[in-house]
Amino acid sequence: MSVKTNENWEPKILAFCCNWCTYTGADLAGLNRMKYPENVRVIRVPCSSRVNPQFILRAFQKGCDGVLVCGCHPGDCHYATGNYFTRRRFMLMQRLLEYNGIDPKRFQAKWISGSEAAKFRDTVTKVSAEIKALGPNTKFAEPHFTEGGDK
Amino acid sequence: MKFKKTDLNEVLKTLAREYTVFAPIVENEEKKFMPWAESKDVEMEGLNTIKPPKDVLFPNVEKMYRYKMGLEGFIEEIFPEDTKRILFGIRPCDMRSIDSMDKVFLTKEYVDSYYAKRRDDATIVAFGCTEAGRTCFCESMGLNPNDAPSADVMMNVSADGEDYVLEARTEKGEELVKKLEGLITDGGEAKKDTKCSLVINKAEDLDKKLAKMFEHPIWDKVTKGCIGCGTCTFVCPTCYCFDIDSENYGAEGCKYRCWDSCMFSDYTRLAGGANPRPTKKERLRNRYMHKLSYFNERYGETLCVGCGRCVEKCPAHLDISEFIEKASAAELGKEDK
Amino acid sequence: MALSEKDIELKIREEAKKALATGEVSCVIGWTTTRFPDKMKPFFAETEAECDELVWNKYCINGTAKYALDDRYPSKKFAIIARGCDSRAINRMLKDKQLLRENLYIIGVVCDGKENPICEECQHKNPLTYDVLIGEPVPEQIDEKRFAEVEAFEKLSPDEKYEYWAKQYDKCIHCYACRNACPACNCVECYADQYRTGWQGKASDRIQNQVYGLTRAFHVGDRCIECGECERVCPMGLPIMRQTRKMLKDINDLFGDYECGMPDDAMPVLGGYTLADPDEFM
Repeated sequence: MSVKTNENWEPKILAFCCNWCTYTGADLAGLNRMKYPENVRVIRVPCSSRVNPQFILRAFQKGCDGVLVCGCHPGDCHYATGNYFTRRRFMLMQRLLEYNGIDPKRFQAKWISGSEAAKFRDTVTKVSAEIKALGPNTKFAEPHFTEGGDK
Repeated sequence: MKFKKTDLNEVLKTLAREYTVFAPIVENEEKKFMPWAESKDVEMEGLNTIKPPKDVLFPNVEKMYRYKMGLEGFIEEIFPEDTKRILFGIRPCDMRSIDSMDKVFLTKEYVDSYYAKRRDDATIVAFGCTEAGRTCFCESMGLNPNDAPSADVMMNVSADGEDYVLEARTEKGEELVKKLEGLITDGGEAKKDTKCSLVINKAEDLDKKLAKMFEHPIWDKVTKGCIGCGTCTFVCPTCYCFDIDSENYGAEGCKYRCWDSCMFSDYTRLAGGANPRPTKKERLRNRYMHKLSYFNERYGETLCVGCGRCVEKCPAHLDISEFIEKASAAELGKEDK
Repeated sequence: MALSEKDIELKIREEAKKALATGEVSCVIGWTTTRFPDKMKPFFAETEAECDELVWNKYCINGTAKYALDDRYPSKKFAIIARGCDSRAINRMLKDKQLLRENLYIIGVVCDGKENPICEECQHKNPLTYDVLIGEPVPEQIDEKRFAEVEAFEKLSPDEKYEYWAKQYDKCIHCYACRNACPACNCVECYADQYRTGWQGKASDRIQNQVYGLTRAFHVGDRCIECGECERVCPMGLPIMRQTRKMLKDINDLFGDYECGMPDDAMPVLGGYTLADPDEFM
């Protein structure tokens, strides 16, 4: 078997973080020297509703093992209502992905404010552990990014 | 030469030792040409497959070369694997469509090396139709549903219905038949009385007539119902257009070619966004013209083989055979020169 | 008393002629015969004589509404022969601001179902929007089993689900017939045609087909009128409605009863929100 399934395997997790809350929260986690798994790659977005469902599919296609979308708590959106759209969108997206065979743990969303550094750390740690337990994602992934692909 | 119908699996098994045998197999509720294996369910007779066997010689997606940029950069061509293939049991219409593709990919100076490789490696066993679908009109297009002249081996059901009768027509075909020693016996009379269900009135010089009909009002009428999908082109055994695109992963990637359809808007879209075929009228006109006129002009034969797949599958029930009749009967106006 | 098939056909022709005679209508979109008795093709009657070619029978299956999009800025009106599903399709496109109501003349026809499996689940046999109605309105049925198929499928394990869809999308030939027939797929330019953005690869392989299928399901999921055109046109017989129905089921479960293409002002679910929406992301 390839490197991917051995014990050193680390999942690749993509986290879309809202600029106004979670990204600041992650920054605060750093300032406070909190430790969280390094397999999470953060992408800063202006609002959690900026995240197009196609981004999620794209991430799985390009070899991510899990995707996390983080935004402001309902009511706290910098643009007043952005995260209400996010809420509807991703509740449906999560179910549609599950319906197509993707474990709901692989795609999660969470509200984390700018002051919740500890919640960011805990969320990321938990998601990372869950995905590690699930193993590498092969569903929707282009052959190049999964074992057995003709690289 | 002939072999017993009951020996079909034995014959395929023998051939599969040396070749990859593509046979009409029913799997996933769909009949299509795919590599034979003992567990597969072969259906020789009955109606033709929905998807044509062209993808054995001209795959839907074919990688052409891979590359990497940077200091360790390289470009490496990818060639089709060195496998001897048999296309087993394709119908005369599909055989004729392969003849047309040969003309496109192998003649007129430019030889497509990918197609040529697959074509050289392939031996074709054609099978005379035993039953005509309701949209079959190959006889009207000058074909015979019982016989495929250019096949390496022609196979028919015998007159008594017990055997398959073989006739090797080329060196490749004889080589193939040799492998079957012990399974085949001499004699056998082929049953060749299948008739198309659809007979259409096609004008003898339709290609020349159509060449004058580019601005004819007939196009407005026939193209209105089209919904602009690519179904007709992807089920067509002679549609050979492809697009070249690349897949990139960071600094490396590969170029591939894949089937394209003239019914799509991006088929003729230019870099600046202009599109010389802006609506379905121009696109469908191009498709019909290509099948019935342009190809004749270049290669001397009609590109439509009358397999009836597009007639059966078109979601808007557009019917090329109906168009042929209408165009044959149409009167030329003064603008049609 | 209910009108017979032949009566309705004659009425359709009569109404079509009347519409053309006003001089405000450029063509009447209906159905006519082909050489096959079980295939009626969409037809565009532009003259009085052509109106007599219009037919009405159980094989008039194709949707007529989407053809109005062929010309978004017509100089004259389109007259559309609309069954329940077509009227919902028109409502869909009106609400999506792709058509103007004043450009349409809708000849509504009460439809008691066609030779199409989806018609058994029809909840709107009477046209919802029309200028003139042919036939007496019939009582509507409520489809109790609207989501039964989806519910049964949900019980499978993730791998079984994935395997099922992968097999289906292996058959897909990437012809976009589902998109082109769908009244909810009314974008001026589809994301799949924007080839330079790289959302959708052109190759027809499992991954690209899956991505297309899922993206399309999500794009139309909250606007699907359940006309079943996507499934009918699919040359490879993919169960496309199973994806959009899943979206509709979840919408009904999470955000309350919801049906699209009705003549009301309801926003598509993903185009709006309420403060009372359930929250799972706390």
